[in-house]
Amino acid sequence: MLNRFKFSYWWKRIIIFFAVFGPATITAMADNDGAGVATYSLAGAQFGYSILFVLLIVTILLAITQEMGVRIAIVTGKGLGDLIRERYGVLVSLLVFLGLAIANIGTIVADFAAIKATAILFNIPVVPLILLVVVLAFIFVTKGNYRSNQRIFLVASLFFFCYVISALKARPDWDLALKSLVIPTNIHFSKEFVLAIIAVLGTTITPWGQFFINSYVIDKKLSIDKLKYEQLETFFGAFLTDFFSFFMIVATAATLFVNRITLISGEQAALAIKPFAGDLASILFGLGMLNAGFMGIVVVSLSTAYAFSEFFGNEGSLDAPFEKDKIFYGLFLAQLIIAAIIVLLPWISLFKLVFYTQALNGALLPFIFFFLLKITNNRELMGKHINNRWYNYFAIISSVVIVLSSLFLIFTSIFNL
Amino acid sequence: MLYFSEIKGKKVFSEDHVLVGFLDDLIFQASELPQITKLIIRLPNKQKIIIDIDALIKINHNIVIKKKYNLSELVENELYLVRNLLDKQIIDIKGHKVIRVNDVVIQDKEGWYISGVDVGVLGLLRWIKLEKFFQNLHGIFGWKMKPIFLSWADIQPLELARGQVFLKKKEEKLQRIRSEDLADYLEKTTIKNVKKVIDTLNTQYSAEVLQNLNINYQSAIFRSFPPEKAAQFLEVIDSDETVDILLAIGYKKRQLIIPFLSESKKQEVIYLLDLSKTSIGKLITSEFFCVDSQMTVSQITNKLRIETPDFSSLNYIYVINQEKQLIGVINLHELLLQSNDVIVFKFMTQNVVVAHLTTPEEIAVKKMLKYHLVALPVIDINKKILGIITLDDVDEFILKKLT
Repeated sequence: MLNRFKFSYWWKRIIIFFAVFGPATITAMADNDGAGVATYSLAGAQFGYSILFVLLIVTILLAITQEMGVRIAIVTGKGLGDLIRERYGVLVSLLVFLGLAIANIGTIVADFAAIKATAILFNIPVVPLILLVVVLAFIFVTKGNYRSNQRIFLVASLFFFCYVISALKARPDWDLALKSLVIPTNIHFSKEFVLAIIAVLGTTITPWGQFFINSYVIDKKLSIDKLKYEQLETFFGAFLTDFFSFFMIVATAATLFVNRITLISGEQAALAIKPFAGDLASILFGLGMLNAGFMGIVVVSLSTAYAFSEFFGNEGSLDAPFEKDKIFYGLFLAQLIIAAIIVLLPWISLFKLVFYTQALNGALLPFIFFFLLKITNNRELMGKHINNRWYNYFAIISSVVIVLSSLFLIFTSIFNL
Repeated sequence: MLYFSEIKGKKVFSEDHVLVGFLDDLIFQASELPQITKLIIRLPNKQKIIIDIDALIKINHNIVIKKKYNLSELVENELYLVRNLLDKQIIDIKGHKVIRVNDVVIQDKEGWYISGVDVGVLGLLRWIKLEKFFQNLHGIFGWKMKPIFLSWADIQPLELARGQVFLKKKEEKLQRIRSEDLADYLEKTTIKNVKKVIDTLNTQYSAEVLQNLNINYQSAIFRSFPPEKAAQFLEVIDSDETVDILLAIGYKKRQLIIPFLSESKKQEVIYLLDLSKTSIGKLITSEFFCVDSQMTVSQITNKLRIETPDFSSLNYIYVINQEKQLIGVINLHELLLQSNDVIVFKFMTQNVVVAHLTTPEEIAVKKMLKYHLVALPVIDINKKILGIITLDDVDEFILKKLT
């Protein structure tokens, strides 16, 4: 009798968890966008297993920052965009959102660039592929509603298993990999190493990620009694993201690092691992890159569209029909088109452009974390779900770490150029 | 009227020119008539004080308050303008997000109250001081930006405390502040203010507003417009109203404006102006509906649907013969009672009560009252219909008689 009661109790919880499941995992997975995959591949090729220990830190930081976003969204029912506009007025929010829009265009360009590079490596015609991506993304978003989009994103997330297989095919040294993950091993500190760590951090924890998770949770319309489940999902999502990052690094570390092959850019990894891991691993790695790029393009464009809809106060929901929310869908499409054009223009230096937008992303982060901490410490807004003391210390330390590293990245890069 | 964005952050001085602080926020009553009751002033030391609106003397370049003011505090049913209304999400009755409150419109004549909110792009631009710039672009690109007002009457004041602005209607049914309401508000302010507002609205809407103003305002405003602009507005205003305005602004200006009217409007107006020389002519409206005596009920209803959507009222359908002579009349009730294929000739009333241009006003009114008519056709010697006078047109006459 007692057993049966217990069984149904747990069963019910699990069902609720899966009903709630989606937003946090998708946001976290999108953090491994095309630019992210490229960064991880590069880091793995350059520093091998030794860079793996960063993943643990990244996972914790990602979980904490995303959790704040989720909590704000569920407790207040408002997005980060809503709250910034309502609490800081037109001028401040306009500056932040314009910064976000520009940085996001840069990120989308980086994702398109990843797709373009992969297409070239595998002899797929570039222009048709990019057009196809734009059209597909637009159809997914305008024709679908929240549920269908979530399903597409979750299926896309499954494609990250490509990296697991690639890594297995590369026959890595599993013992060393797992050991390096928990205990920093074989570390040779150099400026490049520090920069690689920061790059990994910066590609995973982003302004758009913070905006997106807020808005996406709201679009799912979760009630406050689901808060615990959604928080749990946030931690799971952060884990899952870096679970896959682990395999990306391992795949390049076991092949390129071990054989002392240097990569010029992360996008070349798919082809470069071919001699060591075989055709299948190479193709899967490329496929994973295309998928990551696509997911990044859709999610980052959506995050701008959400933020501006919150600024203007229109419906701003995937559930709204196209005719009713032209601002939302219009913004989404406009970014895709602008980014696609930039990527196809031969005379634009993608490397520089991506670099500057990374810097802008880094410059925005301090503001975003200022808002996040302000809001999560506001009892009027958050009620009993305010940050508790220890959590607050942790959140502040995390924010400071992220902010410092992004500032460090900006400064070192500026003085190097 | 003024916008909150225009006064937020303004310096506050006391009567004797001592700086008190800066305007930070306003407090208003969350009710159907949202009176502004208190000002919140940020002192130079960042501390905020609340003072009663009674202490306010004037707002122009700076805000001036009385030397002796009492500190006040928030009482029940009062809300902060910035914290509870400005920048907040507007949600319609079905729970859909509509837009945000970009600015708040404050009425400063006969007491201080909030008359509505601005939800247009100009409301946003005003905060970043780019409103003028974008309005000037209008001249270059030919687009006109207008503030979009949302009347306080459409907002549920009691929901504001929750930080969201709930509407009383569905989004689709939501209209900008009704032109009649805006006209009422405007009549409480100065002509200069009215002109300022009219300038920001689109032609159609401002014509509606102008039409609802009283004749003194109308004539003052039209006198100040250049003839071309006046003609533009008159083009959209009902013809009999146009004639009233033209009569009020005097012969000289009138002659300047008329050439700018479109051909059809010009003919109508000249015709009506001509009639206005006789006693009854002044009252005539050209808004009437004629049908041929051979038409069927369904033909009539079709014609009515096409030709009369912008009529302000329609009570009778006049029936004319081939020579355009008035031979009968039906009212709408009679029309509705008939089946579709009946010819109007069969059921019209043939003895039409009419007036002539020479009929004294009093006789015409007496006829209307005696026969319970709300409109009376005016015909010429050839029995051709010139126009009608409606009860609306003679109500002043009746009122005068009564008092």
